[in-house]
Amino acid sequence: MGPKKETKEASASAKKKDTPAATTTATASAKKTTKTAGNTTTATKVVTKERKEKVKSTALKAKQRVVRGNQLTRKRKIHTKPTFRRPFTLRLQRQPKYPRRSVPKRNRLDHFAIIKYPLTTESAMKKIEDNNTLVFIVNIRANKPLIKQAVKKMYDVDAEKVNTLIRPDGEKKAYVRLKADHDALDVANRIGII
Amino acid sequence: MTRVKCSKLRGKKPDELQKQLEELRQELNTLRVGKVTGSGGAQKLGKIRNVRKSIARVLIVTHQTTKQNLRALYHGKKYKPKDLRKRKTRAIRRLMTPKENSVQLKKLQRRQWAFPQRTFAVKA
Repeated sequence: MGPKKETKEASASAKKKDTPAATTTATASAKKTTKTAGNTTTATKVVTKERKEKVKSTALKAKQRVVRGNQLTRKRKIHTKPTFRRPFTLRLQRQPKYPRRSVPKRNRLDHFAIIKYPLTTESAMKKIEDNNTLVFIVNIRANKPLIKQAVKKMYDVDAEKVNTLIRPDGEKKAYVRLKADHDALDVANRIGII
Repeated sequence: MTRVKCSKLRGKKPDELQKQLEELRQELNTLRVGKVTGSGGAQKLGKIRNVRKSIARVLIVTHQTTKQNLRALYHGKKYKPKDLRKRKTRAIRRLMTPKENSVQLKKLQRRQWAFPQRTFAVKA
């Protein structure tokens, strides 16, 4: 800290006073020693610079205290109820450093897997003609909305409603009634049932 | 489609593979419909097996290339996904690393440095 200050003062005094270097450094060092003894008016510029910094820092501290609030004196909260509930605290979202699985699981119940095949029994044919419905054997884990989506994706038809039942041999049968603007017979032709 | 070969599949891009997969699955669907309606012959019924296995091959190749790329991506990184880490056995994974094992007390280190095992020889 010592030598640094001296050079600073030397440069400052050299700049301000414009006198040959050797004498100023000597005088500067001399001034420093005199300064520590007591306040001198000769080396005014050096002292005021330090003084300025000190004043600045105290001002800054005072300002900070006003802004932040003094830690020593705090307001006590008034509790008007006998129960104390845990206050809401900050809950951060997860930021994992690595995904647990490298590849996310693929959906095994996609529309190819949902609809297995259409039924072509006599009663199924009757349904196609009379009730505008198609009958499918469907994956047993599929539910009605999934079946609706799958039919739409595979055959481009809108379903009005889907009724399902589980056959005694363990397969799920889905009666898919098509919307009025679709003809089940046409769709059946297109699929290949007939 | 006669027979999908894995060696040919590996050259393809992922979207191409996806498209091929979709095509194969559509084909399988039509074959299954044919099976139910009784329209196909022995030819078509035999084809079902081929198509199923082809689908399997496409999926295998897709998965293998994805895994390979991921391994390259995570190579050298500190934190890898758990399925890219070494499997070994549960117990082995929980053992101390060789470095952790070789850590010694400072006291012991100093002693070993100050008093190493000396070997003497008797002059003949």
